[in-house]
Amino acid sequence: MRKAVPVFLAAMLILLCGFVANLSFGAGVWQFDAFFRAITQFDPTSYEQSVIVYQRMPRAMIAIYAGAMTAVSGMVLQGLIANPLAAPSTLGINAGAAFFVVAGALFFNLGLFAQGAAALAGGVCGFLTCFLVARLAGRVNDPRGLSLILSGALTSMFFAGLTSALLLADPGLRTQFLGWVSGNINHVYFERLGAFWWLGILCLTVLLAIVRPMTLIQLGPEKATSAGVNVRLIYVVALTATVIATASAVAVCGPIGFVGLVVPHMVRPLTGNHFARALPVSALFGASICLIADLIAREAFQPYVLHTGPLLDLLGGLLFVVIVKRFYLSNSVRAST
Amino acid sequence: MRWTRALDRKVVYRFESGLEIRLHNLLAGIGLMLVALILAALAVETGATSTGMTDLLQNIFGSGLSDDQAYALWTVRLPRLLMAFLAGWCVAISGAILQSIARNPLADPGLFGLSQGSMTTILLLMVLAPAAPKILVAGAAMAGGLCVALLLIWLVGGERSSGLAIMLMGIAMETVLSSTNTLMLLYTPSEVSMGLSQWLAGSLFQSSWSLIATFLPAFGLSFAGIFLWGRALSTYDLGNEMAMALGEPLGRSRPLILIFAVFLNAAAVTAVGPLTFLGVLAPHIAGFLSPASGRARLLLSGLVGGILVIGADTVARRLAGDLPLPIGLSLTIIGVPLFILALRLQALSRKHKH
Repeated sequence: MRKAVPVFLAAMLILLCGFVANLSFGAGVWQFDAFFRAITQFDPTSYEQSVIVYQRMPRAMIAIYAGAMTAVSGMVLQGLIANPLAAPSTLGINAGAAFFVVAGALFFNLGLFAQGAAALAGGVCGFLTCFLVARLAGRVNDPRGLSLILSGALTSMFFAGLTSALLLADPGLRTQFLGWVSGNINHVYFERLGAFWWLGILCLTVLLAIVRPMTLIQLGPEKATSAGVNVRLIYVVALTATVIATASAVAVCGPIGFVGLVVPHMVRPLTGNHFARALPVSALFGASICLIADLIAREAFQPYVLHTGPLLDLLGGLLFVVIVKRFYLSNSVRAST
Repeated sequence: MRWTRALDRKVVYRFESGLEIRLHNLLAGIGLMLVALILAALAVETGATSTGMTDLLQNIFGSGLSDDQAYALWTVRLPRLLMAFLAGWCVAISGAILQSIARNPLADPGLFGLSQGSMTTILLLMVLAPAAPKILVAGAAMAGGLCVALLLIWLVGGERSSGLAIMLMGIAMETVLSSTNTLMLLYTPSEVSMGLSQWLAGSLFQSSWSLIATFLPAFGLSFAGIFLWGRALSTYDLGNEMAMALGEPLGRSRPLILIFAVFLNAAAVTAVGPLTFLGVLAPHIAGFLSPASGRARLLLSGLVGGILVIGADTVARRLAGDLPLPIGLSLTIIGVPLFILALRLQALSRKHKH
């Protein structure tokens, strides 16, 4: 596809614009002047510049990280599981990770690094629970993976319920985690980003290294095997990397819902199914969406500052409706079942 | 008026008017009422102040109670208990009706987003007109639930879609509505928003005799609805063509029945917040205990629903102690595994049929 390079460049440009806008717009006014001075010659005594560097910059970094990781995970999951609704939030990964972090903080008083490990364990646990439930409740003919998504939703509800119950149990913990649990991009979580960013980069590298076999698997396991791909190995590596990447994003700023569901559907028409093109673009798109959502959440409802999570949930939920309508309820499906 | 046997050899009691009651349904109903009473006794005894059923009975027959015992019994525990039963009753019947008219065994007012729709309109009303009277709030809840129901019908388009797909659509709408609710919560004053967020999770903390008094009309209407449409629902279970062949005016009765189901759920949402999973669990458990159709099914489902809410509340209060676990939350935690079990059983029975 020849338009891959322009798409990539356009995505870069959008991300750059989003980044600049996120940093320089605040309290209802554009502060380009302060932004450029903060970047070129930072003056710590200036109030505006220190707001940009110490508050908005960390927020933007977290938004970029969480958005990119979640979007890439969604892309890989939708491709490998061959289900248009697959995403970290719909398969129970987010909810599982959030539950483990809160439970760890409550029962074992975990520190920052241990919370990251708990998020990883929780992400894996949520993902496996989802598959287990799908297998338990599976229908005889379920070609489109309906029951997988349903069991993901059930798993998420269950873990989210447990998380809320734990939060109610401890008022101190509640004030500490309430924003985090609903998915919040906030500068106070910057030290978490400092602790976990390398995990995401590592996973991204791994995923980029296996783009070719992953793309072949999309054609069907048999075809991939005949093309010389060790399907089982690639599945395990790819899904592990996905879950770790998502869980690390959850460990930073809580479950940022539906970016992982939305972005792949935006990217795929532009780049096609080849992961080598789709993955970088979806990372850029995910980051841009999170930056813009963060900006909207911060500024659109002044004087209130929204949490980014519910805003993205709203967006993603609408898309969820559209996908279910078009994919599961269209006439062709009804004719075949 | 005599005991006879029905076509399937089950013992049945026939009245002159043609009304018939199956023995096993009657027994199940009596058994469930007994269970409800036992649970009620347990629930009344649970709490920080040590008092219980025996004190209550003595109090009724004249002997005095200490002040804090009287307060615990009459002002806190009894209203809570009654409210739990009434709300559970209504939501369970609403779920059972939805399952019949949607012909989808997984239908549930919470999972289909009807409860969230009611809450969205209630929140909207509270943001726009904080001093609105109670009756208007109930009307808003009703309108919201109905809107979501119609939207869902429009989106899934016809009844030939598979049950799981409708379910996914319901969950999708629920996500949209609940995030809208979260966003709207920010616009309410902070002292209101704390109470609201508790109610959003479904809670029995605000139960009082006045709340029960406002809820009783809905409870009474539920009986009227059961006797009016209970028989019709058993024909709906057979499928639309069959129902029409049996003389059921689908075009007229279906909208009315849908409105009735939404009304019951909206009343429960207004009083205690959303009780997700109850609408799907209670009819299944009732059907497991004693297979029934029509009116008997609705009545048994209602009883099981009330018992489930009382039970979940009592268990949560016993286990969690001081922890104020909202009833909606404990129902979700209990409900998900049971729901998965129901799915599993359904899948197994399908496999046997094939």
